[in-house]
Amino acid sequence: MAQDSNNSEPKQIGLLVQFDDPDSLLVACDKVRKAGYTKTDAYTPFPLHGIDEALGIKPTKLPWIVLTLGIIGGTVGLLLQYTTNAEFYPFIISAKPRFSLPANIPVIFELTILHSAFAVFFGMLLLNKLPMFSNPLFRVPEFARATDDKFFLAIDVTDDKYKPNKTKEMFEGFVGQTGVIDVFEDPSPNELPVVIKYIGICLAVAAIIPPLILWSALNSTSGAPRINPIRDMDIQLRADTQTQSTEFQGRPSVFPDGRAMRPRIPGTVARGEWTDPVLLTGIVPETAEKNVIFLQDEEPAKENAEKPAEEPKAEDKPAADKPAEEKPADAKPMDEKPADAKPEEAKPEEGAAPTPPAEPEPNWVKFVPIEVTSETIKRGQNRFNIYCSVCHGYAGEGDGLVSRRAFELIDQATPGMAWLPPTNLHTDAVIQQPDGKIFHTITHGIRKMKGYGDQIPPEDRWAIVTYVRALQKTRTGTPDEIPAIKMKELELKGQ
Amino acid sequence: MATVNEVIDTTIDDPGNRTPLVIGGHDYGSITKLVCRINEDKTPIGWYISFAVAASVLGMFFALIGYLVYTGVGVWGNNTPVYWGFPIVNFVFWVGIGHAGTLISAILFIFRQNWRTSINRFAEAMTIFAVCCAGIFPAIHIGRVWVFYWLFPIPSLQLSMWPNFRSPLLWDVFAVSTYATVSVIFWYTGMIPDLATLRDRTDNPILRVVYSILSLGWTGSARAWSRYEKAYTLFAALAAPLVLSVHTIVSFDFAVSQIPGWHTTIFPPYFVAGAVFSGFGMVLTLMVPARQLYGLHDIVTMRHLENVCKILLVTGSMVGYAYAMEFFIAWYGGNLTEKFAFINRAFGPYWWAYFIMVSCNVISPQLFWFKKCRTTPWLMFVISIFVNIGMWFERFVITVTSLARDFLPSSWGMFHPTLVDYGMLIGSFGLFFTLFLLFVRFGPIVAMTEVKSVMPKPYKSPVHDEQHEAEPAVEPA
Repeated sequence: MAQDSNNSEPKQIGLLVQFDDPDSLLVACDKVRKAGYTKTDAYTPFPLHGIDEALGIKPTKLPWIVLTLGIIGGTVGLLLQYTTNAEFYPFIISAKPRFSLPANIPVIFELTILHSAFAVFFGMLLLNKLPMFSNPLFRVPEFARATDDKFFLAIDVTDDKYKPNKTKEMFEGFVGQTGVIDVFEDPSPNELPVVIKYIGICLAVAAIIPPLILWSALNSTSGAPRINPIRDMDIQLRADTQTQSTEFQGRPSVFPDGRAMRPRIPGTVARGEWTDPVLLTGIVPETAEKNVIFLQDEEPAKENAEKPAEEPKAEDKPAADKPAEEKPADAKPMDEKPADAKPEEAKPEEGAAPTPPAEPEPNWVKFVPIEVTSETIKRGQNRFNIYCSVCHGYAGEGDGLVSRRAFELIDQATPGMAWLPPTNLHTDAVIQQPDGKIFHTITHGIRKMKGYGDQIPPEDRWAIVTYVRALQKTRTGTPDEIPAIKMKELELKGQ
Repeated sequence: MATVNEVIDTTIDDPGNRTPLVIGGHDYGSITKLVCRINEDKTPIGWYISFAVAASVLGMFFALIGYLVYTGVGVWGNNTPVYWGFPIVNFVFWVGIGHAGTLISAILFIFRQNWRTSINRFAEAMTIFAVCCAGIFPAIHIGRVWVFYWLFPIPSLQLSMWPNFRSPLLWDVFAVSTYATVSVIFWYTGMIPDLATLRDRTDNPILRVVYSILSLGWTGSARAWSRYEKAYTLFAALAAPLVLSVHTIVSFDFAVSQIPGWHTTIFPPYFVAGAVFSGFGMVLTLMVPARQLYGLHDIVTMRHLENVCKILLVTGSMVGYAYAMEFFIAWYGGNLTEKFAFINRAFGPYWWAYFIMVSCNVISPQLFWFKKCRTTPWLMFVISIFVNIGMWFERFVITVTSLARDFLPSSWGMFHPTLVDYGMLIGSFGLFFTLFLLFVRFGPIVAMTEVKSVMPKPYKSPVHDEQHEAEPAVEPA
């Protein structure tokens, strides 16, 4: 393609001599080197043994580049694993160390090899000044066979020893040479065409824009939600707080009426969620419709409690829990409060303005709402002995072990000791309480008694109520109340 | 050429009488013509037919991947307790095949086995394409393919966490991706001078531009060759341990777990031997027909094929030894579940897979003890097909039988592959052969420069006559 020699004065840049066999080339290379030429090169279709020595090519420093990159690769592998797995996001597995080398060797090894391989590849290209798509040699038609079956030796005209005629003469004198060729400078302009230049500039500018956008986004704050290309379950229909679900960010509303949840249809109960509110709270709700609200445990019970409170019958037993009579002389500070508090609660009407508003009594359940059998009472006894007897005593007289120990300590004049004994369950105040109220007391506690609602299931609490009633009956009952058959049995036993 | 071929027995193994690696009285120019002819001549009709078949199978493969991604991994038969079904079997199968190329390029290079030059390019291409097939399976096996980048240690705002580097599955990510990368650049580096040859020969302006870009302006300068050879040696030195590490790490996927039948220390060497075995099997499967179709008898002589057969015999026997040793250790180790696992492999519900594996992998290569079998191309081809089948079943046996029956009989279950499973297995061959046919058509399938440097000197140099008279010897040692 390129016979540009008759073009207007193309500058000669080198001299090329062709050989048909590698041995002749090697001899020629040796001669050229011995003649003192340094800017020489040979071109062969395959690597020739001995050409490095013949041409005086120094060993490449590629292995050192590879070694360096290999060490860097190994270090990167080690640090990558250490920083990510021991610092940024430690995997804590049993008592194993955060970082242990053996498990990290494979990745270190692979990264060492990877970096070294890149070093080999790019290092080789870089040292060979590749890629180089434009080369004056490619303009020499004969040179096409340098990658096929011909062997070439070239000398650069800038070589100190180069003399136009003398060098050519020497080349022509080589044994086995099959042609001496002048290599001329590529006459095509070195400058890039203007169009390509501008296109390049435009592309470069365009390429900078995305990083700039990223950079500015990184350094600014925005109220808009982050762009999330893989949404998975991040974005779902929902109602955000303080927003209307119909309008939010153009997303469709969850329901056409703007609600995010459907209200319960009155009179229906979700499967598995039903528990009798009476059983759960010991309070009879005002209407059946309110049942649904009771499902949410005790909180709505308070709201509901306000209504029954207006009914006068709720005030029948105002001083439900007043153990005032039983308090010992020592326990002044503690017992004063309940003693004071209860009467206030008891008579809300007469209370002066500053007194806190009375807490009206709810509509207590009168009788235990579960089926009562002797098993129930036995279960109640069992639970009572576990949970209640420590304070109230096995017989419910308020003389449990805790109480007795407290009095012992008081007798020993332990400093700072004060004790309000537990309620005696045989007092009238307790006897007259409706079952629901006792249940409520067990559930939520009263005064310094803690609530046992979390520990004892509702059925067991009711069982305890039955047992408390049974205990009370041991004091208040009359022989008339014993069924005739049982009486007979007792008589037979000799009582 | 043909006449010479018939006369010379290339398989003589007497060191003094070995035939040259290239026969047929070739010189440098005719080697170039012989190899470039494949790319330059009119494409044979057979190529178009094969390509059409391979490409349509590939189309099915991509369609199935699309279906999988769209629907979910439930389209596979993977289910309790066999969560690693065909995808992992196929992955290990293809990765194994992908070992021969780099092994030939690197390890045989280090051992100065010059006969490798005729088949290394071919085998390297096979490696790359097999690794492509292998890479697809774990990628689609993760379920949510679109977040595959979570496998890599990339800072992620979404996850706010990092991969667990103590997991063999993550080692696998690094090993396989490193292997793929290094294989590709190794292969490409080897091809640069040959691409330059194609560039200098082609008349097609489009191909000329493509080859020019790919050959990076290679001139064959002696200074460039010097660095190039050093680079090639370094590549070989790096790739040799790499090739051993990759299948070792693949075997860790199994061996680091506690499943009986997997939890054995023999796995790394056993897997590597199996990989070399399957890789050479595939080399033979591809090489025998290609040699015939493209008339490469002078470059790929019977001696080359015989050498491959010998390697198959050795590695096949190593694999057989590993099978036997697994059984021995299962008994000798005294671990009841281990013992059960191996008895179950051979005599349990998957006995048929086990016996396909043993007969294909251990028994069929034993035919190569006979020289007649080592020098009959069609027989080699048949055995190589058996090797491919056997090695696929080896991975099936390891993966499925161990998972199907582990410690607790209550958790046992059989594996039921679906049509999609079979389709993807076949489809991966479509990908492999499509890439391979494209390479055969457009790439230099024989490393011309390397063949030229190991072939017998095809010339009588004029310098030698003269040197005797005048000059002192300049030939370097």
